[in-house]
Amino acid sequence: MLRVEKLSKRYGGLKAVDEVSLELGREEILGVIGPNGAGKTTLFSMIAGSQKPSSGAVFLEGESIGGLPAHRVVHKGIVRTHQIVRPFANLTVFENALAGATFGRDQTHARAKAQEALELVGLWNRRGDLPGSLTLAGRKKLELARALATTPRVLLLDEVIAGVNPSEALEMAQLIKKIREARKLSILLIEHVMPAVMTLCDRVLVLDAGRAIAAGTPAQVVSDPLVISAYLGSA
Amino acid sequence: MKLGIALSAAALVALALLPFALSPYTHNLMTLSFLFVATALAWNWLGGYAGQISFGHAAMFGTGGFVAARILLAGALPPPLAWIAGGLVAGAYALIWGHPTLRLRGPYFSIATIGVGEATRLVFTYWDKFTGGSSGLSLPMVPGAKRTLYWEALAFLALIAVASWAIRRSRLGLALFAIRGDVEAAADVGISATFYQDLVLFLSGAATGIAGGIYASYFSFIEPNDMLGFDRSISFVLMAVIGGVGTILGPVLGAVVFVLLRQFLIGSYPQLYLGLYGALLIAVILFEPLGLMGLGHRLVRRAAR
Repeated sequence: MLRVEKLSKRYGGLKAVDEVSLELGREEILGVIGPNGAGKTTLFSMIAGSQKPSSGAVFLEGESIGGLPAHRVVHKGIVRTHQIVRPFANLTVFENALAGATFGRDQTHARAKAQEALELVGLWNRRGDLPGSLTLAGRKKLELARALATTPRVLLLDEVIAGVNPSEALEMAQLIKKIREARKLSILLIEHVMPAVMTLCDRVLVLDAGRAIAAGTPAQVVSDPLVISAYLGSA
Repeated sequence: MKLGIALSAAALVALALLPFALSPYTHNLMTLSFLFVATALAWNWLGGYAGQISFGHAAMFGTGGFVAARILLAGALPPPLAWIAGGLVAGAYALIWGHPTLRLRGPYFSIATIGVGEATRLVFTYWDKFTGGSSGLSLPMVPGAKRTLYWEALAFLALIAVASWAIRRSRLGLALFAIRGDVEAAADVGISATFYQDLVLFLSGAATGIAGGIYASYFSFIEPNDMLGFDRSISFVLMAVIGGVGTILGPVLGAVVFVLLRQFLIGSYPQLYLGLYGALLIAVILFEPLGLMGLGHRLVRRAAR
């Protein structure tokens, strides 16, 4: 579905992301974990087109999309959410979703799509409210609904679970599973909350200091000595 | 909604019948108000909907005015077509400077527009062959034309008001509101900020240019420092800000208040009026950023409690 080849981002001498490759299968959930500053969000930004890669390539179903601007990447079918939620504060909940449906990949039946996305995340009854009146979990769901309304094929989720309370975290994890099944989506997921990563992800990629240091099933990577030393430091 | 349409139609009819009962002074003031309301609304497409505050819209007002005046002096086109031609040139000019500068946001964009406005004024002041320099251009006065122009200005205002409403409800409006909310998040749902901002600047610039053309026809004399002065650019900002940025009724109310205020200030304090504009702008932004519309909402809420 999505293939990333040796993607790099350099700022002068600093390598924020250093030749990271990954493959995301159809309807797969691939987790991307790693300590703070490992380059996870930069990797996402490059795939989503909001930052230009220094080198490397991105393919969506075989088509090269590396270096396209963000709005064009959305039209191709890759959409991201932000770690710090960014709803349009001046638009209602419905209009937020409508923006996604109107300008996304498939722009037909925008109003119906916006409604469908809001119903899926459970925000339809708040459609007339402004995002500022939602809880953090509510705004994260709105961000998710807005992304879904663009009819994506690949969803990039940047810490949609972190920061909410434990019961909401569980709800979000179930929501993500539900979304994958309802929409047949492939999902790339940055997450810090390890229990969620363990239950949600089919496979996990571990980044440290810009490099991919391990990959495998959740159980494999957490017992990998390289991963343990990346998180805890070596003895 | 239906009430709003009925009220607007009634106001339009009343205004259309008014010139039979007006003194020449009030007649001038009313026509000027129509043009100012229309430009305030057109400014608001960019400043209010997209959140890009332009301090350079006089450049398009002047461009539209002088192009239309030149066409009329050459007798090449009838007035309405000359105004439209002026508007198209003004819109194209807006695109030329706007396409690169609209990448800037907030105060950075605003500062760039101040530079554009002033540079355009200087070029027009020294470009004698086209603008007549500081002695300006005079258009022939046609007896009875002022009354026709009053109606034309009113019709133009009605058109711009309807366009404001249509844009707000359109795909373009949704894109602009999203861009104002968060330009990067807008890109992340597939909105090309460059395309929609360029488009709205063209429309806003063209409408402002047409207003400049009608203004030139009505007053039959234009000169660069009046058409393109910084105080003219400021006046567009003030009208929208006094009334309420981003709304439709706001700039209308703001422009009416502004025209009355300006008449009083220029009459009573000709040296001070620019300073007073500035003070007013600061006061509105500090105390009621949503202008008269915000104040109105606040009063309604208070009354309801």
